Parts: sequence; C-alpha cells; structure tokens
Amino acid sequence: MDSPQTPQQQPARMNFLNRITDHPVITKELKGRMRGKQGFIILGAYLSFISFFISLIYILIVSESSTTIGDPSFLQTVGKVIFSTVVLLELLMLAFIGPALTAGAISSEREHRTLDLLKTSLLSPRSLVFGKLSSAVAFLFLLIFTGLPVESLAFFLGGVGAEEMIVSTLMLVVTAVFFCTLGLFFSSISQRTLLSTVFSYATILLSFILFIFLLFIIGTLGTINARNIVTENILTTATWFLLSLNPFFAAVISEVILIDEQSLWLTSSNLFGTTSFPLPSPWIIYVTFNLLLSTILIALSINFVKRTDR
Amino acid sequence: MSPIIEIKQLTKRFKKRIAVNNINFNIENGEIFGLVGPNGAGKTTTMRMLVTLLKPDQGEIFVGGYSILKQANDVRRQIGFMPDSFGVYGDMTVNEYLDFFGACYKIHPHRRAQLISDLLDLVDLGHRRDDMVDTLSTGLKQRLGLARVLIHDPGILVLDEPASGLDPRARVEIRELLLEVARLGKTILFSSHILADVGELCSRVGIIEDGKMAALGTLQQLSQHVMPHRQIHIELLSRSEDAQAALRSMPGVAEVRVVENSNRASLDVDFIGDDESIHQLLAKLLAEGFPVVHFSEDSKNLEEVFMRTTKGIVS
Repeated sequence: MDSPQTPQQQPARMNFLNRITDHPVITKELKGRMRGKQGFIILGAYLSFISFFISLIYILIVSESSTTIGDPSFLQTVGKVIFSTVVLLELLMLAFIGPALTAGAISSEREHRTLDLLKTSLLSPRSLVFGKLSSAVAFLFLLIFTGLPVESLAFFLGGVGAEEMIVSTLMLVVTAVFFCTLGLFFSSISQRTLLSTVFSYATILLSFILFIFLLFIIGTLGTINARNIVTENILTTATWFLLSLNPFFAAVISEVILIDEQSLWLTSSNLFGTTSFPLPSPWIIYVTFNLLLSTILIALSINFVKRTDR
Repeated sequence: MSPIIEIKQLTKRFKKRIAVNNINFNIENGEIFGLVGPNGAGKTTTMRMLVTLLKPDQGEIFVGGYSILKQANDVRRQIGFMPDSFGVYGDMTVNEYLDFFGACYKIHPHRRAQLISDLLDLVDLGHRRDDMVDTLSTGLKQRLGLARVLIHDPGILVLDEPASGLDPRARVEIRELLLEVARLGKTILFSSHILADVGELCSRVGIIEDGKMAALGTLQQLSQHVMPHRQIHIELLSRSEDAQAALRSMPGVAEVRVVENSNRASLDVDFIGDDESIHQLLAKLLAEGFPVVHFSEDSKNLEEVFMRTTKGIVS
C-alpha cells in the first residue's frame, strides 16, 4: 500500500541547546519542581544539614586544638576534614534524594493516566526517559553546586587540591545519575509510585547488606585458606573491587591513596595482603561501574516504557 | 473514495480471553463513526490498537495508508486520541498544558503561541488560559482535552467516551464542539454509552459485542435490518379513537397503540415503508382533518437497534 504524505509540516530545525530548553518533559518537570515549595524545602534542608555538620566539625576541631590553631599544616588538615565531610554527606544525601526524585517519574504518569497521552504523541520513549532523568539529575546538580560555597571553607583553610575537587565532583555527579536511574528503572516497571519508591530504597538497603555480607565472606575465606599466593591475590582483588563499589569507601580510599602515595590513578600498596601489584584507584572502578550500570538501567527503562501490552 | 481507516481481521487476546475477535471495517474520510457496545465488548481495545497503544495479535490497521505495526509514528501524526478517563497535569496552566503537548508533537515554539490561542478560542477556553488546569470543571477539562487532540492538526480524532461523566449541559456543549470539529473536515471515531449522542452525531455506527462486530451501517440501515417496522409517534389535539381506526386501514400500518402516559392524545404506529410512504401517511391524516400537532419517527431507534442486536437477534 502506498503511504501518502503526512499533512503535518516537518518541524523547523533547532540547535542542540534549543532542543534541550524546548524539551517538553525537561521544561515541565523543572518548572513543576521549582514552582511548588518542595524544591526549596529540599534545597534548604540539604544546605542546612551540611552547614550544621561542617560548623560542628569546625568547632570541635578548633576547640580541641587551640594551641595549634595558627599552624598552617593544621589548618590544611582541618580543610581536608571539612572537604571530606562535605563530600561524604553529599554522597549520603544524593543516595536518599536521588531515588525520591525519580521513583514517580513514569509510575505517576501511569497513576494519573497521562502516560497514554504521551505514548500516542511523537515523544519517543527514549526522549521521555531522557527528559525525566535529566530534570532529576539537573536538580541534584543544583544541590551539588549550591554546596560549593560551603565547601569553600575548606579552600580557605587550604589542603584541598584540584585533583580532589575534580574527582569528588565526578563521583558526586555519577552517584547522582546512578541513584536517579535506579528510581527511574523501578518507576518504569511499577504501576504505583509507592511500590517503586519501596523497591528503590529496598534495593539500596539490600545492596548495602550484600556488600557487608560479601566482605564478611571474603574475610572468612582469607582466614581459613592456606597462605596461597594465587588465592590471596584473588581475594585482594575481589576485596578491592568490592570496596570500590561503595561510594563512601571508594571516596575515602581514593583520598588515602592520593595523600599517602600522591597517586590519582593507580596504587601498588599491599593494603590487604603481602603481595604487591598495581590496582586502579577506587574512584575509577566506582565511576566506571556506576556509569555502566546506569546505562543498562536506562536501556531497560526505555524498553519498559516502550512496551505496548501493559 | 479510499477509506482513511482500514481495519482488517483485527484480533486481540488477553491471556485466554478474546477481547477483539476478527473485526473488519473501514471508515471514510470526513465521516463521524460511532462505536457502541456493552462494557467489555472490545471498543476500547479496538481504539487502543488503532492509536498504536496495543499491538494486535492478528490483523492489521491502516491509517491514512500507514500501518500501525510498521509506521507507528506516521499513524500518531494523523491521529488525535482522547482516552476514556484521561488525566491532566494539574500543576500547569491551561496555556502551559497545550504548549507541553505542542512540544511533544514537535511543533516549533514560534508556531505554538498562535496555535494555542486559536484552539482555546475554538473550545471557548481563551478566558481561562492562565488558570491552573486543576481549577477547571470536568466539562472544561474535557474541552481542554479536545483542544489537546487538535494541537497537531490531525486528520482523525479517536475519542473514547468523550461525554462520560459530564453533566447534561457539558454533554450538549461537547456534542456541539464535535460537530464544529467535523465541519473542519476531521474524521471522528468515537465510542459512547449515550446512544442519543451517537444517533445524533454519527453518519455510521458499529455495534460491538463480545469482541465481534455485531452490526455495522447507517442508523437507517441498522434499523431496517433489525426492526422490520419503523416507529412513528403521532400526537393529536382530539379524535384519537377515530385516528386509530383510520390509521389501521391505511397501507403499511402494522399496528397502532395508544400511549397512555401522555397529556395529549398520542399514538405509536408500527409502519412498514419508505420515507415517501411516511409522507403519504401524514398527508392522508391531514386530508381527513385530524388535528395532528406532532408527527415524528421515533428517535430511540438506536436504543432499540442496540438492545435487539446485543441480545443476539442479528448476530
């Protein structure tokens, strides 16, 4: 059968920036998020939480070490502690806020009976998922960047290098993307937002329990096995990779390697065994693994949104 | 004239239940086609396959020559779909809502402002353009929904129960609006439980029962098919008994019944014959001096056709 020409005019070409700013889902989500009180409450609570802990740490350190307060190396240590605390708190907050922003992304469209309207438009499932994810990640970026003035206290005191800054920001960005993607994935498979939220947080909790369990197993295997070089290397590598998958351990160990070995990329330390061989810095494993997992979850989410027989 | 919608051997199963069973029909360009049937008959499933939300297990649908299976995006460009119970984004203004869907249909931002203005004028919502969608009544939301389906200027509108849940006034307004949209040259396929709306609006009707097309055609064709008699309602100022006797002797009259619960002298006549014969019947009554004040063919025809068809009289 011959296909006649569509009566609809082809849209005029727009550049990439225009396409982003005119992306219906991104515009709608961001406008909706910032229109109500919710956005400002999250932002206010986030900054208050971080500021409170930074002030607390600063007061504690300064009051404990009043004799060395003028020592530049001491001030640098304080700067490092404050910076590390901010990064770890931000990682913790992103793990909590990320899934909350996206757990209702698709399921709420189902609940409000608006998904069919979107699916019968020319908005592709990929574009819908991209728009939902981008708007949530953009909001988390806003949180990360509004946290920078608080971190600036650490720069004022010194001791924080550009590498630490770049690596920590990269880890925060990847963490934001991953946790948003996790919520989005469960949202794409759930009919209800409540269910999707429960699945998202249960997965985070279970993965943490699994992490502890695996560490315990590896630790037990290490003690009961005879001192065999191959087994030891395997266990060392497994432990290394396992610790690198946890954002807190990955951040702390990367910082330790940077301070002790002045190395951003590799370590040759035998932290867990007697042998010594090069291992990538945990932040590299963390970023690579999370980006890979995020990509898989995004692909699955698109596939679930695309499905017609639901 | 080639049909704008061709539905061929359409079948859809949900597990063991057959929701749509080998349905075939065409809809011509510019037609208002009504789909009626009991709950669970397969109307919504048929519509959801037509708008590419469901994939058929067997069969195919062509919309403007495009296959729903192979050219879904081309089909979506041609169709504006309003589901039976659709949601709205309550946290947006009326203007933002239409702008959002305009962007979803990839209409350039420069064109959208004027387009939205025109659509809001068409559905008479121009004065509410800056109001939040949540503040609109059900009837106004339905009108906004109609503006939404027109945003990309589709040739075909697929409306699933557009008048459901509306008060009588809003129902009449939606009906008027549909007629206005039809005058713009749009093809309309809609389903409804309100048979009076279907009877008044549609050029053709399809009655679906148990996933099968039980009857298809113009209202007149369906009436003739299931009801050998046409029902004529006559009201007179007086002499109803004389009129009763006179009518019984006239050609084509099968039965005459007195309507008891009427203020005037009213008669229902079962009549066999075409429009010309009906005209002659009225002319004879007037010639014999009966004071006829009302003479009409019963408007409840579709209801009667529906009841008889879905009881299995036809199928």
